[in-house]
Amino acid sequence: MANLTREDILKLAKLSRLKLSDAEVEEFTAEISEILQYVQMLDDVDTTGLKPTYQVTGLTNVSRPDEISDYGISQEDLLKNLPARDKNYIKVRKML
Amino acid sequence: MSDYITTIGIECHVQLKTKTKLFAAVDNDARGAEPNTLISHICLGLPGALPVLNDKAVELASRAAFALNTKPQPFSKFDRKHYFYPDLPMGYQITQFEEPVVLGGHVDIVVNGEQKRIGITRAHLEADAGKSTHPAGTDYSLVDLNRAGTPLLEIVSEPDMHSSAEARAFAHELYLLMKYAGVGDADLYHGNMRFDVNVSVSKDPNVLGTRSETKNLNSFKSVEKAVEYEVKRQIEVLEEGGEVVQETRGWDDTKLATFSQRTKEDAHDYRYFPDPDLPPIELDQAFIDSVEKSMNMLPAEYRTQFAGLGIDPKVVEDIVNVPETAQLVARILETSGGEHAKRIAFWTVQKTDDNSDDAQAAEPDVKVDDKNLVKLSELVSANKLSSTAAKEVLKEMQKTNGDPEAIATAKNLIQESNEDELAKIVAEILAANEKAAEDVKNGEMKAIGFLVGQVMKASQGKANPGIVQQIIKKQLNI
Repeated sequence: MANLTREDILKLAKLSRLKLSDAEVEEFTAEISEILQYVQMLDDVDTTGLKPTYQVTGLTNVSRPDEISDYGISQEDLLKNLPARDKNYIKVRKML
Repeated sequence: MSDYITTIGIECHVQLKTKTKLFAAVDNDARGAEPNTLISHICLGLPGALPVLNDKAVELASRAAFALNTKPQPFSKFDRKHYFYPDLPMGYQITQFEEPVVLGGHVDIVVNGEQKRIGITRAHLEADAGKSTHPAGTDYSLVDLNRAGTPLLEIVSEPDMHSSAEARAFAHELYLLMKYAGVGDADLYHGNMRFDVNVSVSKDPNVLGTRSETKNLNSFKSVEKAVEYEVKRQIEVLEEGGEVVQETRGWDDTKLATFSQRTKEDAHDYRYFPDPDLPPIELDQAFIDSVEKSMNMLPAEYRTQFAGLGIDPKVVEDIVNVPETAQLVARILETSGGEHAKRIAFWTVQKTDDNSDDAQAAEPDVKVDDKNLVKLSELVSANKLSSTAAKEVLKEMQKTNGDPEAIATAKNLIQESNEDELAKIVAEILAANEKAAEDVKNGEMKAIGFLVGQVMKASQGKANPGIVQQIIKKQLNI
């Protein structure tokens, strides 16, 4: 796993909806491989019998009652930064 | 082709009956709302927005656990499932991947009079995506995020079903369970409950065939028909020497056919990881006990209770299909006994009879007081109303919830059971119809019907025919 292939990077790009040039594919193949290798030092730690850490806050059961609030933000404020609108709809490129 | 074994597993999404969304305090009822009016910074996935879990969703998922014959997990947590789609603003869906709130359980179904147990693998909480529309003839799509963040419980069954009838029965029972347990409205018409069916066929009982997944079925009939279609299609593919492709299929409700949507060659890679914004859920014993204590009666208990009244199994199912009716009959049974419960059960079921097939139809549209229903039934028991007249009175009560005796009196439907009064009329009729009276005396019982009819006419339909017959016999000394 340490050395990623070109195919790995292309798959990652596809999953992330990114278009990469050939030069970028090459660049990221090397860079991301390096990052992986660095993180791989964690493999040396013996984790037998340890529970996985899902959270570092130590909090549990943070919840709210089932009541409506407008958070003090108007709908117009929420929608005003949209790149494209059609009345109240969010307009996006055609998807199929 | 009966040497093929069919194997079916079902995944079901139930929309939870909460006021607000799963992680945002925003109104959850998107029906008829203008687009993008039920949104917040959380629903839009704006940077820095912090999702906070809705208490009620956890409680409803816990109720679902008991409805599925298990208990909620003491520990569960949320994960992010990544994919990019314009109706998913955050770029990931919040779901429970590794530690779902429900593990195990089962649902018992009855098919052709035989009971069968279908295992439940798991059920987990997750947030729904938004809705997109694709206006014809344009180069854009429109996104409405009102539904984004609506709480769903996804229930996954074991591949324990082997026929379309079993699949349908399971879907239907799950619907009833979620409704009775108060988990969701399970309004199929509005898509509150959606089914995905995984179907495979194989000749070898020990090896499963490659499966297809038909998604987004929203009626019991489409579950049944989609399974039938897939079984037939897959067997045809195999018989022609082909291979079944593992893929996602859609359902065309008019053609009653599935169609290929996307193959799973490009195996999904959702890159799940724990959601750092959402601390895990820990349920203590006191909470779990309190949910268990608050559980309503479930369909199975009602079935036993109603069968005990001597109600026909088909009618029992009609009653149980509408929780409000089942609860009504059970209440009447408790307050007023079996006779009234049984009679009122039949009235209610007959009323919903025309809305036969899929279950969303049969909501009773009127709320008639229990007390008035019992009063009406008492009038029948006391021979003051014929059962036909009672139905007429009931119709009126359903409009006005008025007092049954007042309605019956106003409609002139109260039967004359005062024997002295009736005896006079009978004497007059017998005197006027000597020939018929003679025939009856000579054993020609057909003629008695004529005489009863004459008395009914003379009493303007208010006489009780049973009592009239008795009086005629008495006066003719037979």
